[in-house]
Amino acid sequence: MNIKRCFTLTRAGIIESLQFRLSTLVVVAGNLLYLVVIYHLWQAIFASVDTDVVNGMTFSDTLIYLVLATALFNFMEMYVVWEIGRRVQSGEIALDLLKPMKYRSFLFWSYSGTAVTQFFFTFLPTFIVVTIVTNGAIPLGWNLLYFVISVVFAVSINYSIDFITGTICLYTESIWGINMMKPVIVLLLSGATIPIAFFPEPFKTIVQYLPFQSIYNAPLSVLLDGNPEPAKLLTTLGIQLFWCVLMNIVSRVFWKISLRQITVNGG
Amino acid sequence: MSNIIEIKNITKEFKVLNRREGLKGSLKDLFSRDYKIVRAVDNISMNITQGEIVGYLGPNGAGKSTTIKMMTGILEPTSGEILVDGCIPYKNRTRNAQNIGVVFGQRTQLWWALPLVESFKILKDIYGVTDKDYKDMLELYQSLVDIEPLLHKPVRQMSLGQRTLSDILAAFLHNPKIVFLDEPTIGLDVSMKAKIRTLIHALNKEKNTTVILTTHDMGDVDALCRRIVIIDKGKMLYDNDIEHLKGFFGYYRTLKIRVSGSLSETAEKIAAEFPEFSVSANDEWISVLVDEAKSTVMDVLSQLQKTYKIRDMQLEEISTEEVIKKIYEEGVK
Repeated sequence: MNIKRCFTLTRAGIIESLQFRLSTLVVVAGNLLYLVVIYHLWQAIFASVDTDVVNGMTFSDTLIYLVLATALFNFMEMYVVWEIGRRVQSGEIALDLLKPMKYRSFLFWSYSGTAVTQFFFTFLPTFIVVTIVTNGAIPLGWNLLYFVISVVFAVSINYSIDFITGTICLYTESIWGINMMKPVIVLLLSGATIPIAFFPEPFKTIVQYLPFQSIYNAPLSVLLDGNPEPAKLLTTLGIQLFWCVLMNIVSRVFWKISLRQITVNGG
Repeated sequence: MSNIIEIKNITKEFKVLNRREGLKGSLKDLFSRDYKIVRAVDNISMNITQGEIVGYLGPNGAGKSTTIKMMTGILEPTSGEILVDGCIPYKNRTRNAQNIGVVFGQRTQLWWALPLVESFKILKDIYGVTDKDYKDMLELYQSLVDIEPLLHKPVRQMSLGQRTLSDILAAFLHNPKIVFLDEPTIGLDVSMKAKIRTLIHALNKEKNTTVILTTHDMGDVDALCRRIVIIDKGKMLYDNDIEHLKGFFGYYRTLKIRVSGSLSETAEKIAAEFPEFSVSANDEWISVLVDEAKSTVMDVLSQLQKTYKIRDMQLEEISTEEVIKKIYEEGVK
């Protein structure tokens, strides 16, 4: 019964995002442009040092990592903060609150459809292309399964963080600043902009204790490690699970408290 | 008949920051703790029984939407009690949502990019409507309005009228006990308004749904509501049948006559003759607003006939619109 509710929203989201097929093309084109930029950027960085290996990563390691991070970003980013902000400002949130569902899950399942479409239309093609082009640099084995599990955690953590950020919109009633700030912070601290291996020392340790690295760094390192030690793998997934549960609780509680703040405009 | 909605002395206050003028004022506002309390709804009580259509009226900013938001559970009252179908809305928001349907005139709950039928299917699953009930409901809809061409049209391509119609159908889809319609006919043309009124009326009859309607269009009120509630500045001004409303200020009727000769001169003479009534004239008619408590229209007419040669006459009942206007402007004595 409850599952049916969720999947009907996912289904609607898929249909809805397929209506805008041009936007998928634009995303892919934008990605290509971005990739060209980071290719040249990192080429310059590696050219400036004498060794082939910097911080334990070769040029192609770095590039594969960053390309996949971008692809992962495309499908995990659900623009929930935008959405909550927009709905709060327009007062449309009132209608969502009148659905017989918890708002947190209503919103998640409403946008899950887009994520599914993005997964098939941007992540999967990118992954396949990278696999073929790099000719075996990505190990194909059990790590794919672990990767999928890791991504599920990552999606959940990412959504919780988005939802918490979105909830802040209830207080600020403005969305621009928050929206500009959130992806920059998340992408940087999660290792999607620069691999965490490149972070300077005290910073690197701090980042290890934050939830963000579980979003991009964790699934990517699981994916790129073809022969993981069980202990290391379990630690990575364990930490993800920990953050997943914690952020879930925090976002729910924060929303519950904040909902009382709602003052939908109009008298 | 049992009460589906019980409201006892509810009050809602908002805390609003006192904004100052200009750039300097705006900068100061960033650190200001200077709030003022705005009382949007002030000590309102009412009971509504199952199957009623209640017109909920008041000028802009009177507190109508705030009351509705409290009944739907989006806002929590500052004080007082609300029971909707036996439960407290803001404490059981999701459960309450199952019992109610809502249309906010200027917004849509439909999925913008999808054909209407997809929105219906989503709502069907969200509200857990059985296949049979869903099919019956669509058949009922089809018998009331021609929805077939709308069903396969994406909502974003619809005209405002079609969209409002669809939104109303969507609100009734899970057969809720109460439907809140917040200005459903705003911005619609005459024939669409009529269509929507017929639809609301039919759905109310068919399913015995309680309808709470806020509107600024007195045509809606006359066509649909037996009972009206008027509030202004958060306070309840009137809660009774629509028939009583007309007698609220005495039974006024407007007598319009046309005579030979100058209308404005004659009007002045008539005004002198009947100082207790207000008399006015335009290019076509002389209007006499007769208070039936003082003398009947027939008396006035026969009196006039003695002195003037009346070529034509009309009798106008005071409209709901005028009464409401009077209440808004003057309040209740």
